[in-house]
Amino acid sequence: MNALHEQFIAEARELIHQATDDLIAVEREGFAPERIDRVFRAFHTLKGSAGVVDLPAMGVTLHAAEDLLAAIHAGKLEATPAIIDQAFACLDQVARWVNDFEVGASLPPHAGEEARAMAGALRHLLSRTETEAPAGSDREVSAPATAGAPPAWVSRLLESQRRQITGHAGDARGDLVAFSYEPDRGCFFNGDDPLQLIRQVPGLLALQVEAREPWPALAELDPFACNLRLQGIATGRHAELANIFRLVPDQVRIAAVPLAAMRLDQERDAGESDTAGLVRAVLAEQRQVLLVADQDEDISGRLGAAARAAGNALRYGLRPDLAQDIERAGAAALSARSAAALLSALEQALAALVGDAPAGDPALGAASGPARAQEPERAASRALRVDEVKIDALVNLAGELIVAKNGIAHLAKRLQDEVGDHDLARAVRREHDTIERLAGEMHAAILQLRMVPVAQVFRSFPRLVRDMSQRLEKKVRLVTHGETTESDKAVVDRLFEPLLHLVRNALDHGIESPEQRRSAGKDEGATITMQASRVGDRLVVEVVDDGRGIDPAIVRRRARERGIIADDDLAALPDEQVIDLIFSAGFSTAAEVSDISGRGVGMDVVRATVERIGGRASVMSRFGAGTTVRLDLPMNIALSRIMVVEAGGQMFGIPMDAVTETVRLGRDRISRIKNNDGFVLRDRVVPICSLAELMKLPAGPTPAADTRLVLVTEISGKVTALEIDAIQDRLEVVLKPLQGLLANARGYAGTTLLGDGRVLLVLDLKEVLQ
Amino acid sequence: MSVQRDDGGTTILLVGKCPVEDAEPLLQLLQATPGAPVDWTQCGHLHTAVLQVILAGRPALVGPCGDPWVEQWVAANLL
Repeated sequence: MNALHEQFIAEARELIHQATDDLIAVEREGFAPERIDRVFRAFHTLKGSAGVVDLPAMGVTLHAAEDLLAAIHAGKLEATPAIIDQAFACLDQVARWVNDFEVGASLPPHAGEEARAMAGALRHLLSRTETEAPAGSDREVSAPATAGAPPAWVSRLLESQRRQITGHAGDARGDLVAFSYEPDRGCFFNGDDPLQLIRQVPGLLALQVEAREPWPALAELDPFACNLRLQGIATGRHAELANIFRLVPDQVRIAAVPLAAMRLDQERDAGESDTAGLVRAVLAEQRQVLLVADQDEDISGRLGAAARAAGNALRYGLRPDLAQDIERAGAAALSARSAAALLSALEQALAALVGDAPAGDPALGAASGPARAQEPERAASRALRVDEVKIDALVNLAGELIVAKNGIAHLAKRLQDEVGDHDLARAVRREHDTIERLAGEMHAAILQLRMVPVAQVFRSFPRLVRDMSQRLEKKVRLVTHGETTESDKAVVDRLFEPLLHLVRNALDHGIESPEQRRSAGKDEGATITMQASRVGDRLVVEVVDDGRGIDPAIVRRRARERGIIADDDLAALPDEQVIDLIFSAGFSTAAEVSDISGRGVGMDVVRATVERIGGRASVMSRFGAGTTVRLDLPMNIALSRIMVVEAGGQMFGIPMDAVTETVRLGRDRISRIKNNDGFVLRDRVVPICSLAELMKLPAGPTPAADTRLVLVTEISGKVTALEIDAIQDRLEVVLKPLQGLLANARGYAGTTLLGDGRVLLVLDLKEVLQ
Repeated sequence: MSVQRDDGGTTILLVGKCPVEDAEPLLQLLQATPGAPVDWTQCGHLHTAVLQVILAGRPALVGPCGDPWVEQWVAANLL
């Protein structure tokens, strides 16, 4: 996949998102010219880029959508729900194609039919409203005036008939129109003579007659079944052609040829996303690539890619002559293994394109000269696209550096123990402190590279909420806060699935129907809020709804029915802990399973996913007033904070995020409850488990002191005290997953290397305490 | 009959107005004598069905076509 394609994919996704956001705004807040204008421009730019990477099916679809939007923008059409739905459907289709293109560098084989169906549906909306429009509205607006990129068949026709057109057209810079006529197979029996129709086309410039399906052997040819496709280009007007073909409208396609329309585009966009500007930008970028790459070893690959990209762009810009020049130069450059020939051809093409800009438009002229060529350079200094793998390599190296730094700390301590508070020991300590600071800063800076705003995840939701609330016939508004909060890419990437479950649950179960809300004295329109914030070194994401809340009584009943928790325990649980049971596997509060959520897998998946990346999920709810689900996540998952503890004569690492506090207990605070020791912490009985026992180690020597040390942990809402012999250290470490023979060992989150070279096993408390 | 063989029997002639019915005999002649050229210099008007047989059979053409419109716009498709 070349750079142009990658850029196209990234840009297309960005534009699809933007168009989605604006369409939702149009729908929610009503029609506003500048909003429609933004949607229009997003579609327009998308269409342009689809042309550059040679995806005609995408171009056809977007072109139809663009016509529809142009009609709305011009006030000829109202943005009805049907139109907005169709526009969304179009965006969905394009998004699917972008995915296909990313995987296979091409569109699926049926893309053409999909495109035609989608374009047909869009045009249907346009024509339907148009016939309803008051008399006197100009029909022609629908096609020629707003045309941009030509449909694929027009491009092909133009390409094959170029000489004909230029030969005959002379100064025909006016409107051109193309037609494609596929007569019905039985047309000869009806007395039709397709050629006779075409003879009537005024100002014909080119005609191409070809077989629709390959010709059979003469013996099998049915001379009275028409197998012809007649395509042509004329200087006439759309309406004239439509009139000629009025008896066979289903067999003919008529489209404006964008030679003239392109000028309109340029005026409309003032050079911002116009076709010619785009072509120039692509050319300038190829030049940039070649200038950088001239000394490169893999220059042949780059030459080929650059020549292809520039050629495609020029073809799209309807300069096949220049495209041929570029491709010839590309071949020459390839054989010479030097970019010089291609570079000079690119310069010439750029110069020719600048000459093409309308002379009467000084703004465009200025924008198309050297300033244009500079642009990619400026953009390049602003942002750098780096492969994630390379960043990960840096993160790993910085992690290793921190481990090495911990080694120096150990050394400094030994030195101090052996030589006392000597100058040398102090100097080593000082150096260690410096290295520690630098390594820490470097690690933070590298992690910063992986930081992305949560907006990347949030932005998919407005559309989702819109679609689902429509389906459920509920009125729901989605509010998002803190989209700019950043977190590690690995965290943000894994957020989507849990948030999806939460928002679905809120929509499906949380939010009441408008009638229910009215009778409860609430506003009919419900609100779902997604908010992200940074709390210390944690990322907190909350999904809040103002729906019916969770009824603890129902949760209790269901938990009992499903046997999720022992009856005794259930009776002892206060209401706020009862609702936490919704995170248990196999729990579903929906009375019936719907297709949106509620198969009893949602919430436990949320908790599992969040815990896998070192996060916690909790729920707060006021019955009747709403529910808040809170995801408390690490800012990054590359570095973990652990506590090094001793139990049964061994050292273990315990992730700090599982430990809520450490408590030293006097004998008098410990009481025997059933077969277990326990103690009361803030009016709550907490059982004590010995880590040595859990790890099947011989109990350590009975502590001489009268106190016992416990770590209070909270896992899945269950508070347990873990008895240990001693706390050795608190460290920030890079956790490595267990590998090889140990890969399937349960109870361990991973390993890390200690400063003195020993390997520390870090426990997965959830597994250990089960 | 506007589709006929010339006197020598080697060339197929299209003469005058060639209506839709001419498609069938032209096809038969082309099948009977593969490789026979078609002379359309005397053709006054060509029906689409006849053109289709020419496109399918691709005989050598003796031109220019007597129908100037066909000569100008269609003949290029048969080169």
